Amino acid sequence: MNKQPSPMRAAIDIGSNTIRLVVARSAPSDLDIVVSKEQLVRIGESVTATGAISQEKSDAAIALLNQYKALAMKYAADPIFVVATEAIRQASNSAAFLERVQCENGLTVQLISGTAEAALTFYGATYEVTREPNPPAEIGVMDLGGGSLELVTAKHLQITWRTSIPIGSGWLHDRYLPSNPPTYNEVSVAEAFLQTYFQGMRLKHRPPVLIVTGGSATSLLYLVHCAFKLDEHRNQLTQQDLIHCEGLLSSLPAEEIAQRFDQPPGRARILLAGALIIRAAMSRLHMNEIHISPHGIREGVLLAFERYGDHWLDIVSQSSAALNHVQLSEAPLVLPPEKEPFVQTGRRLLLERAKKVLELPNEVLKHEDVEAVHRMRVAIRRLRATLDAYESCCHPRRFKKVYRQIKKAADALGAARDTDVMLLNLHEQQEHVNGEEQEGVQWIIERLDTFREQKQRALEAFLQQFDEDTIEKQIASLIPEGVVSHGKS
Amino acid sequence: MAKARPITGLDPQAPTGKNARIIAKIRLEELYSWESYVDNPYNIQELHNLRIAAKRLRYTFEVFEDVLPVASKDIVKELVQIQDELGVFHDTDVMIALLRLCLGGQDSAAVLDSTQTGTSEQDGKDKSLVPPELVTDLLDPAVSPSTEERYGLGKYLQRQEQLRKKQYNAFRKHWYSLLSRDFRRKILELLEE
Repeated sequence: MNKQPSPMRAAIDIGSNTIRLVVARSAPSDLDIVVSKEQLVRIGESVTATGAISQEKSDAAIALLNQYKALAMKYAADPIFVVATEAIRQASNSAAFLERVQCENGLTVQLISGTAEAALTFYGATYEVTREPNPPAEIGVMDLGGGSLELVTAKHLQITWRTSIPIGSGWLHDRYLPSNPPTYNEVSVAEAFLQTYFQGMRLKHRPPVLIVTGGSATSLLYLVHCAFKLDEHRNQLTQQDLIHCEGLLSSLPAEEIAQRFDQPPGRARILLAGALIIRAAMSRLHMNEIHISPHGIREGVLLAFERYGDHWLDIVSQSSAALNHVQLSEAPLVLPPEKEPFVQTGRRLLLERAKKVLELPNEVLKHEDVEAVHRMRVAIRRLRATLDAYESCCHPRRFKKVYRQIKKAADALGAARDTDVMLLNLHEQQEHVNGEEQEGVQWIIERLDTFREQKQRALEAFLQQFDEDTIEKQIASLIPEGVVSHGKS
Repeated sequence: MAKARPITGLDPQAPTGKNARIIAKIRLEELYSWESYVDNPYNIQELHNLRIAAKRLRYTFEVFEDVLPVASKDIVKELVQIQDELGVFHDTDVMIALLRLCLGGQDSAAVLDSTQTGTSEQDGKDKSLVPPELVTDLLDPAVSPSTEERYGLGKYLQRQEQLRKKQYNAFRKHWYSLLSRDFRRKILELLEE
């Protein structure tokens, strides 16, 4: 007797970076994928910048959803599910956007919670593993999106723990890596940020196997296949592979990466951010190797529907909410910045600000750009503002020691910069003064030139004995663990 | 430069957003503690302190931008403008002090006084506008200006004094425009969100 073919379904996932479609013949534990499409819209970009979905992003999403709907209907897929995640959750105008999709596309969007998102991603990313004869007893799934990162661990394919971190590849790129390609300094600050942030992630168990999903992960695997000739059947990435990718992505402009390695330009721009986040997570999990899955939330939606029927989302939400309740007492979530404890933010901010200062002395010492002194002075002011804000949380003696050194640096830079400013103003005004004034202005410029030389030499001597490593270590130890108040722990 | 006000009343384990608002409010009070000097263009040190206080408030908004409302960006723009206006004004003050010093020559003790900011009631000590080593260099008889150069310096001083007036008026106009827009209350409301 011929087996009845499984029904054709479609699922669309509106993510922070990408909008994806999958059309598949669906069964409770199997999918026969006939269409898989994705396009970078980067809704999250406008949400990060203004808090809302811009008109331009909204129009692009509506147009793409129309194309996806037509494609799904061509395959007679029914129903067509649409789910939306972090960027839409965060957007101040999400209700208006969802209403627009309903009116103009005739599609109902389910705005799912972070916990439901994690569970559905887990179903999608692991469904191929579940068909293996001996699936691993413990497994982790990490979904790296544009606006957030979801991490789930499971035992015998039952989810045991999850966390959601509001850091995604698009977010990290927009916030820390604006140059094209990102500069060494930008990468270094982004790494410092990730390192401190991931330190705050408490893990009860470290899974022996980690499957990573999401557009950045699959694009990085593709990049490794193309650029470093990795066996194309291999779906694993090592830390070394990612380090190679980071080198490449920080050396070439996104347009060149896109052209050479067949990536959409928008994806090429945020790929370095993705590599940095994945590698930071791997380091925190003490992992050298990860598996990449091209499947995720949309495949999870189809599987959940086949398993639980019309109430699939309620069941997934209830079961993941129950899990969340259990795990909260055992393994707190990594909190979004606005809810993160003040001291935890402080450790991160101080290190970030310190790194920005400590990368500048070499630039100042080159004497190539008069503005380098100004940049270092501004970086020091920002560090001092952060130190002032956190004084009550810092170890008092260590704080005084660091503050004194930073103040000395500020004074040395200030003396040099003030003379630079006087000279810059005089040179600028010299062009506009009349002949009588010219002689006086020239006289004062000559005096200041001599004085500037003295100040530059003094600054140079100061910076040459400025021990960046020691200062960085001292700043990293300013806020002790278990701090309660006023620097006392 | 007046020292930053110490921050008290923080709970290290409370969400960063809550503490950031406390810090910003203290910095806001610090800024407005210099407000009474806005109408006196010759309270050089106090206007400089106002500028530093604006800078501290601006950096607080910038350091904690992730946890403060998006509308803080508009506040930062105004603070940068205040800082810039008072910055160029201060630069001109330094140049005027320098020129007076050069023109006064070595025979006048009052010249040295003219390089001091004078009215630092809050700090209890005067601070030189012109660095003391520069004063020594400029008063070195070996490099004293010729008659033509002195004449040029005098003319340039007049130009700087005119410029100072313009710069002060631009700042004051901006300050009063902020006053009419209830800038302080707006910041406080934003910090209540």
